[in-house]
Amino acid sequence: MANFLISRLLYATVVLLGVSVAVFFLIRIGGDPSALFLPPEAPVEEIQRFRHLMGFDRPLLVQYFEFLGRAVQGDFGMSLRYEQPAMSLVLERVPATLELGGMAFVMSLAVAIPLAILAAANRGSAIDRASLLISLIGQSFPAFWLAIMLILLFSETFYILPPSGRGGWQHLIMPAIVLATYSTAIITRLLRSSMIEVLQSDYVRTARGKGVRESRIILSHALRNAAIPTLTVIGLQVGALLGGAVITEEVFAYPGIGRLAIQAIANRDFTVVQAFVLFMAVVIVAINLLVDLSYGFLDPRLRRNK
Amino acid sequence: MAGAISTAVTVSMPLVAAAQSTSTVVIAQAADAYSMDPAKHSAFPTANILFQIYDGLVTQNEKGEIAPALATSWSNPDPLTWRFKLREGVKFHNGEAFNAAAVKYTFDRALDPNFKAPYYSRISQIKAVTVVDDYTIDIKTDKPFPTMLLSLYEASFPALIVAPTYTAQNNGADLGAKPVGTGPYRFVEWKRDERVVLEANPDYWGGKPSIAKVIFRPIKETRTRIAELKSEGVDIAVDVPPEDIASLESGDTKVVSVPSEFLYFLAFDTTRDTPLKDKRVRQAINYAVDVDAIQQALLNGMGTRIALTLPSNAFSYDPSWKPYPYDPAKAKALLAEAGYPNGFTIPLMTRKGRYMKDSEIVEATAGFLSKVGIKANIQYLEPGVWGQVSEKKGREGITFPGWSGRDPNLVWAPLLHTGEYQSYYSNPDLDKLLDAGAATIDPAERKSIYTKAAAIIKDDAPHLPMVQPPLIYGLDKKLSWTPRADGMIDLRKAHY
Repeated sequence: MANFLISRLLYATVVLLGVSVAVFFLIRIGGDPSALFLPPEAPVEEIQRFRHLMGFDRPLLVQYFEFLGRAVQGDFGMSLRYEQPAMSLVLERVPATLELGGMAFVMSLAVAIPLAILAAANRGSAIDRASLLISLIGQSFPAFWLAIMLILLFSETFYILPPSGRGGWQHLIMPAIVLATYSTAIITRLLRSSMIEVLQSDYVRTARGKGVRESRIILSHALRNAAIPTLTVIGLQVGALLGGAVITEEVFAYPGIGRLAIQAIANRDFTVVQAFVLFMAVVIVAINLLVDLSYGFLDPRLRRNK
Repeated sequence: MAGAISTAVTVSMPLVAAAQSTSTVVIAQAADAYSMDPAKHSAFPTANILFQIYDGLVTQNEKGEIAPALATSWSNPDPLTWRFKLREGVKFHNGEAFNAAAVKYTFDRALDPNFKAPYYSRISQIKAVTVVDDYTIDIKTDKPFPTMLLSLYEASFPALIVAPTYTAQNNGADLGAKPVGTGPYRFVEWKRDERVVLEANPDYWGGKPSIAKVIFRPIKETRTRIAELKSEGVDIAVDVPPEDIASLESGDTKVVSVPSEFLYFLAFDTTRDTPLKDKRVRQAINYAVDVDAIQQALLNGMGTRIALTLPSNAFSYDPSWKPYPYDPAKAKALLAEAGYPNGFTIPLMTRKGRYMKDSEIVEATAGFLSKVGIKANIQYLEPGVWGQVSEKKGREGITFPGWSGRDPNLVWAPLLHTGEYQSYYSNPDLDKLLDAGAATIDPAERKSIYTKAAAIIKDDAPHLPMVQPPLIYGLDKKLSWTPRADGMIDLRKAHY
């Protein structure tokens, strides 16, 4: 177990280093923010003067190692636009994103798990076909379109939900539905097919032969085994719910990290983009680690092998 | 039925109903503030918020003229000095007194190169600010600077006056988070990316504003802003697309609009060896594009058609100036005369989604050009890339750059003077006139200089002037508020 953790930590370090290189150089390909930050009539000498003041004219490698040296001490630099520490701008917005992502996550599990179980247990039935249709539609709906449709329906036509902002639970409903749609579809589809596979296996047949109740077979014997492949996907979906809420947060004017990130990219606010990407990388690495560890709890054979 | 729904709304949604209050105005604009320090940002949405909190020395009145604000009068003792008499008895929100020292402090701070003010270039002509007495100040320049007042009003962001003692605290960090100014509204709260809340300043020197509470909310998506307006979550929604006007003209909402002082035009690169070097080709393009039809179809006929690249409210603009008429036959004849009877192919560089209907207008223009044989290859550049290309003087062929400015010296000098960063044109005769206009303070003399310059620009056609696009706002029907051509939101006179 200790070996496993150490190797995973080393792996995480390599991943984060790679991510830092990628984000640092990619965001700079499109040029630095000097021209965007100054008024349109600023003469070229003024742009160069500003660039020099900000240090954007130094060699990229020098800038990278300086960034890395500070980042390992927890200093991710100041945001150009906000003149505030970049990482604290990101962390400030995490609670809002967690609230929205959490609600969407609960929603998608609450729909996907019962739906997948019912579909798998009644293969070929109307509910099974409905689950397939829901998965197909859910995965192919563009988030942007769905968001606008919900706003038109619930805010502009029926006046029952506020179209934007953050406040009470009412503000969370529409964005959470939009966010949950895709995850629900994916989880339903995967869990359904794993369940079907498991339900055809020998030990399920044996259990049935022994006269175990069908509900027990499904919930206890089959679901536990079908959960393992699905868990990986659920883990990935948690990452997507947190980092992938960009469009949803933008449309619903929700003050989360996705909205901060998209603005920072448009403004070439390098430090904020770096802080956001590294934060998300840490989150995703951590989730993957947790998913790996959870396999051991679900599958005793994996525990013994370690 | 409608009654039943609205009752349900007030019962179940107290949060959303905030904007229904007649003492509060909620404004939805595309972005949140970046800072509460007027000298530390470069974004219009931020400026709209800060203009309620701070004042400049001068302001713009309802007729669009420069008018007194914290300065009550001004004069030029000599061409290099602007002397301002300051308003007496004005206090900042924290009780600090406004006086000549505050003005000096404001400009000295923003002009310090190490301060890195993004809008430094707007005020960089100011070489010194000297206190004459407590309520008199001299602003000195190296060269005559006829557009000084436009560098001192609210659209010149770092010219808003800050309180010296408070601003110096914590190296300006306090000001950046909790602003203190002399303006009609005092700062209450800033929840990032959610809202900025302001309350009326009862001691405002211009009279206590009628609206007690002002809330700015950042809502990037246009559809969401409109939904908020319709569901009474906001009272002013900025940048309404022309196609939504009809639906907002009914019910509890209305639309107000004003031609902006922004300029839509095509610029021709005459520095490279292309057909655009030939004056006849540039004139042909002016004849070939039916700008009136584009304005009618894409902007609902709103905005102001311009004859030259200068807003109609700018100094020296003459309403008798006429644009080239739409005449494709004449365009073809000119092209043939210039040696391009079958037209030619040319790049058309622009950005997409930067300005209202920009890509639609560019595409319609390319359609008109193709009718006279000119094939325009449209290239859309991401704004950051556009900046990079511009810095290397890399704009090629025809471009759709967009510009604004209320004086020829702020429009023609940067866009048409030889060697300027934004200029892709050179004409020694025009250069002489532009130099003279920049160095003259006397308005009558300047006007005659720019009238001559206008004749050259019309004939030599370095641009295809199009329109000043409209600024369109959706409003709560009960609210009375007048939009401004420069896009700044001023709530001093707003009322229900």
